[in-house]
Amino acid sequence: MIELLDPTLEAATQPIAYAARPSRLEGKRVALIENTKFNSDKLLLKIGDILVKEYGAASARMFRKHNASVPAHAEIIEEIQKTCDVVVAGVGD
Amino acid sequence: MPTTLTSKRHAVEGSLDDAIEFCFQQGWTDGLPVVPPTAPKVARMLEAARLDPKQQIAFVEHRAVSITAEKVAINAVMAGCKPEYMPVVVAAVEGIADPKWSYHGPGTSTGGAGVLMIVNGPIASALDVNAGDNLFGPGWRSNLTIGRALRLVMRNVCGSRPGTLDRGTLGHPGKLSYVIAENEAESPWTPLHVERGFRPEQSTVTVMAAEAPHQFYNQLSNTAEGVLTTLADNMRVSGNVMGQPQYVIVLAGEHMRTVAASGWGKKEIRDFVWKHTQNSLAHLKRTQRMSGAIQDGDETKLRPLVESPDDILIVPAGGRAGAFSCYIPGWGSRRSSQAVTKEVKR
Repeated sequence: MIELLDPTLEAATQPIAYAARPSRLEGKRVALIENTKFNSDKLLLKIGDILVKEYGAASARMFRKHNASVPAHAEIIEEIQKTCDVVVAGVGD
Repeated sequence: MPTTLTSKRHAVEGSLDDAIEFCFQQGWTDGLPVVPPTAPKVARMLEAARLDPKQQIAFVEHRAVSITAEKVAINAVMAGCKPEYMPVVVAAVEGIADPKWSYHGPGTSTGGAGVLMIVNGPIASALDVNAGDNLFGPGWRSNLTIGRALRLVMRNVCGSRPGTLDRGTLGHPGKLSYVIAENEAESPWTPLHVERGFRPEQSTVTVMAAEAPHQFYNQLSNTAEGVLTTLADNMRVSGNVMGQPQYVIVLAGEHMRTVAASGWGKKEIRDFVWKHTQNSLAHLKRTQRMSGAIQDGDETKLRPLVESPDDILIVPAGGRAGAFSCYIPGWGSRRSSQAVTKEVKR
């Protein structure tokens, strides 16, 4: 019998508190996080447009990250907290 | 030092072969067999670096992952490291967790970066880290196992598994291990770690998220300008041309001697290469690297490959014979990830 030590992360589970999701988007102010990849702004503008026209969102405002590889910086997160209700964010190629 | 190891233990019935197969089955390996990580081996690895198993080596903010000495040691054992390699692996782990290296991008990106590690200072020769023939391998245990240990930490501790969180489109062989030393013994120039603020007698490892090496050939010229003109012509449209990453230039023995004989140092090399790797906006647009129609003046308006000459790291290394050297484009852009140098503490 050989006893081996586990090389993987065995972190204690951390509960992540998600903000409650709104049931409707009517009247909500939408933040669009643009990650600087080619055409991501165009895609997000289209999404924002659909959310306003078809789902009744009050507004859709774009915020630009420094680049796609880093988390959104503190300044835009703070501004989004102050001025928006929901956020559209993601990454892809 | 008494070592209390707290990682989960797996009892495997049978022989060493069964233990190796067990590691494959658990998804712990990079595709090659690993050394089964038993407690005595892990304890020896920690003792060699005088580390307590619970000590946090680094915290990767993007992953919210704390990397402990015990986990680094387990993965270093699996990679085949000798215990005395452990301080280099630890320094490299500190490097990739540094906010300037910025783990998320190079650990995940379709761009498929490896972690190029450049070892400097006395530890390089003490551990027999190769700086000569077959620089990028194969043949040297320290070169192949130190980089492998780092990759196994990324896989097993940070969760950067190919196909899930590591989404490299092509990857490259350096993603198995990508470790070199600077040829300080024969180089006429200031070593990389001294240029980056350390003393010559300190040992360091520099980590850079990087593409594979791109070899170039010049057996014709006996001047610095001749050799570097060929290099610049190869480099000009390499890597993420529009992204402006950092580059490493590895000058092997023959080219190193030719360039030095012209009286050029690392600064002159950097300045020349920076100046001669610029592209006209017209060329970038014609070759579909830059968007938009060609405007008046685009034929003469130049865009540098990297933001500054200082984004080109010069490393003399490689065999003494042969008119070959290489350049290594960094991953992404300087703003996404930068080379980081950490001291190897013994």
